[in-house]
Amino acid sequence: MLFKRIWKARSGYLFILPKYVFFTMFVLIPIVWSIFVSFQEYRVFGTEWVGLRNFQDVLYDDLFWTAVGNTLRYAVVVMPSSVLIALTLASLINPLKRGAQTFFRASFYLPTVASSVVIAMVWRWIFQTRFGLANYFLSLFGVDSVNWLHSSAWALKSVIIMAVLTPPGMGIILYLAAMASIPESLYEAATIDGANRFMQWWKITLPLLKPTTLYLMIVSTIGSFQVFDQVMLMTQGGPGYATTTIVHRIYNVAFRDFQFGYAGAMSMFLFVAIITLAIIQSKVLSSDVEYKG
Amino acid sequence: MGKKLSVMLVLIMVLVVSASAFANWTGTITLWDAPRWRDENDDQFHWIKGKIAAFEALHPGVKIELIETPWAELGEKLSIAIAGRAWPDVVPVDISGAINRNHLEQGVVEALDAYLTQEELDDFFPGALQAYTYKDKLYGIPMSMTVHVMLLNLDHFAEAGVEPPVDGRWTWDEFVEKAKALTFDSDGDGKIDKYGFSTYILQGYYEAWPFFYMDGGVPLAENRFAFNSPEAISAIQKLVDLKFVHGAAPVEMGSADVGGTFRALAREGERFVAIQPWNTWAIASVTGEGVNHLPNVMVAEYPTGNTGTPVTVGGAGGWVVMHQSNKDKKDLVVELTKFLSTPEEQYIFATEYGTFPARKSAEAMNPFADKPHMARAAQMVEHSVPLPEHPAWAQIDERIQAELQLIFAGEKSVEDGMESAAAQVDRLLR
Amino acid sequence: MKKLRASYIGMGFVYLILITAAVISLIPLYWVFTTSIQQPEEVQIMPPRFIPSVISRYLPLQLTGERESAKVLVDGALESYRLLFRSTRIARWFTNSLIISLSATAGILLFDSMAAFSFAKKRFPGRDILFWIMVGTMTIPGQVLLVPLFIVVRELGVVNTPWAILLPQLSMVFGVFLLRQFMMTVPNELIEAARIDGAGEFGIYWRVMLPLSKPGLATLGILTFTSSWNSFLWPLIAVQKSEWFTLPVGLKTLQDQNLVNYGLLMSGAAVAAVPMIIIFLSFQKYFVKGLTLGGVKG
Repeated sequence: MLFKRIWKARSGYLFILPKYVFFTMFVLIPIVWSIFVSFQEYRVFGTEWVGLRNFQDVLYDDLFWTAVGNTLRYAVVVMPSSVLIALTLASLINPLKRGAQTFFRASFYLPTVASSVVIAMVWRWIFQTRFGLANYFLSLFGVDSVNWLHSSAWALKSVIIMAVLTPPGMGIILYLAAMASIPESLYEAATIDGANRFMQWWKITLPLLKPTTLYLMIVSTIGSFQVFDQVMLMTQGGPGYATTTIVHRIYNVAFRDFQFGYAGAMSMFLFVAIITLAIIQSKVLSSDVEYKG
Repeated sequence: MGKKLSVMLVLIMVLVVSASAFANWTGTITLWDAPRWRDENDDQFHWIKGKIAAFEALHPGVKIELIETPWAELGEKLSIAIAGRAWPDVVPVDISGAINRNHLEQGVVEALDAYLTQEELDDFFPGALQAYTYKDKLYGIPMSMTVHVMLLNLDHFAEAGVEPPVDGRWTWDEFVEKAKALTFDSDGDGKIDKYGFSTYILQGYYEAWPFFYMDGGVPLAENRFAFNSPEAISAIQKLVDLKFVHGAAPVEMGSADVGGTFRALAREGERFVAIQPWNTWAIASVTGEGVNHLPNVMVAEYPTGNTGTPVTVGGAGGWVVMHQSNKDKKDLVVELTKFLSTPEEQYIFATEYGTFPARKSAEAMNPFADKPHMARAAQMVEHSVPLPEHPAWAQIDERIQAELQLIFAGEKSVEDGMESAAAQVDRLLR
Repeated sequence: MKKLRASYIGMGFVYLILITAAVISLIPLYWVFTTSIQQPEEVQIMPPRFIPSVISRYLPLQLTGERESAKVLVDGALESYRLLFRSTRIARWFTNSLIISLSATAGILLFDSMAAFSFAKKRFPGRDILFWIMVGTMTIPGQVLLVPLFIVVRELGVVNTPWAILLPQLSMVFGVFLLRQFMMTVPNELIEAARIDGAGEFGIYWRVMLPLSKPGLATLGILTFTSSWNSFLWPLIAVQKSEWFTLPVGLKTLQDQNLVNYGLLMSGAAVAAVPMIIIFLSFQKYFVKGLTLGGVKG
């Protein structure tokens, strides 16, 4: 019976086939390799199977758990704020005229084409202790300089501030694209029924944006749990280990210490954590959403 | 006649066979290099390309494939190549970073002792050989030596009316006195804006470490953490006091900001620190053209502590030969490596690239005849100590530097920091 | 009257927020372009010069007749670009990047939309599992997969060719996820109607789903091109010979060992940004509002 169902639904499989071929070759197989290696002590000439030892070592790895703490503090702030800011800005831009829309779309998305190196440089200047913009502003109000990037108290906060204040270009254009797909007729009907703009936004736009919101939430969660480059460029993980993130730890273990098995084990922990969150998020936002004309 | 002819024939055959012992192997050698100095076409790989062409001319049938890599990502790329079992034949690294003792333990690097005669070995400075030696085997051919020196902005000294140390030598107390005098309010707004000394602390960088050695402390002794010894702690405390008790260092001192620290010494318009320790590449930067040019600079030694002798941290750069499966190819690869590191080439590197030669004969050619700062720095090579040889050094270093950052940020006392490091490092050493 | 004034104040407020946010957003891009035309001695100076000398001083110099100084000013401003283009292979790197990124974008748009259509609108055993496996793999940090990916690419024999960069890019998963969310919102009646009209599966895909997903496709096109164009680490590892470098990799090999040349960094970034800006402007016109979905009659 199963085979009959499969045959009947063959177009479903055929449409995903090309993508799944690439996916299997260049994503799935490497991940499977990584999973296998996480049960080994990887060496160049012959590796040694160590079962669960790598996973045990992760549990006792103090640096890993410091990194987890830092990453969680970062993600808990950055993920919701980036989704909310994207939603807010997109909602403000959407009703504007064509020309204004294009201008703002470009202003928010184009800077993301500049690599993270540049963005980190700008923020490094802003947070510089001596000549930086932030301390300059503080001095105007008579407040003492803050050691933004090199004190344990402020280093992580500075990185979080940078992430929150960097407008989420991708989220904004995604929301705008989604909003563009909502048929005008829905709004027209609501206006006739006497709903004001805010009510329309709350009752029509927002629910219909759920699929996009789910996407952004999951992608932002993944992105903030995997944060590495920007933090490296700003603080190199210090002072001490105040801004060391999970991927930073994985990176060091893999490339500096050449322990790919151990790094693989850490990635497994990361995977489980993020996928759990993703499942929770998708349950919360689950709905069958179609734009009925 | 017949006998002479056959002797000749035998001789010829022997010659041919022995010559073709090298020419026996033909194929491709993979060589990685990273950008060096520019020629008139701004080509930063012109030197290596020239050497490749020359080597290929000497060995017909042998091709050398040059892979250009950036410096910053060289380690990562090499790690992946090794893990993916597709490593190159020759790489321009030392054995304390991108290639480290981990790799040596796993047999990924060829030991070259068999290829160097005692005479050749004697031509190298002991420090250079030591930097490439692990468990009594030589794992590469040194090309250059590096050493850390103190750079002094003499204009700042003049402005403060402070005399620079005679001949670049000073004791710790002299150093503190001068650093304090170099710290003052230069624009009369009531806030101190010029400082005597600064440096940075970052995993893998050792500008500050000679200070920690100066009372006789060492990081590891008999496979145990030793930076919590009284000698080490007194030395670290001295440097900490320079910042917090004597106020001769700005708040940025001890942070991880390499670029910012350098700019505070050298960048026109941003200079506010008089003395900083740097690796020797900085000498070329501050003496060369550009915005980092210091019109009046002096190279000095690290101040001496309780031991009375100056100390600095040194290393070496050069070429490493990766594991070879074919003996004939290996011979040729080693010959290429030697070809790239002759005294003449090291002399060229010294004059064009600003590195210290690893060979005594290259140094004897006096590459720094017109570069007094480099010559002065070269004098410190004999005082340089290498870093510990432990396979897990990178991880140990990470822990120590992290604690040092917290100590110099004023968030931990020296004793607490080093005790915490001791606990972490001893666990790693077990 | 009261209503009108309130709405003006409201609009003013909206614009205030948006313009403030836009300025914050544009600072890095502005920084890139201005640093790239700064005089060599002013690059990275603290505090930074908001208006590069070449702009603020050119006119006054010309007006006071100091032609020489003005010319020197312009020469200095172009120094970073001159350094950039001195490397004769930059045209080659640019072309490599262009071909790869355009191919990746085309391939992704095709394969991802097909897969998204299937995940969003078709039913087949294991559909959700197959989908969530894909999404789940996004959680693994890319650094961990560099080594096995290198091994795979080596086994396929494409190391050192542009295929080594292009093929893994075609396996990026986020596009499928993105488009599936968009396609889920297409009313099923339209699909049913097309089926009744006799369209085959591919016809439905081509004539119903794709046109209705234009904003999503445009977004994915922009995101894919940007991601492919900016990708640095994997191309660095996968490709050895300098003639096959992509632009970010090639630009990095122009940097010295110890001190970063910021002028060069920025002029490289400025040049690299141009195609992405062009692609963005061409694709974003598909964000057209209010596509008529009222195609269901009767």
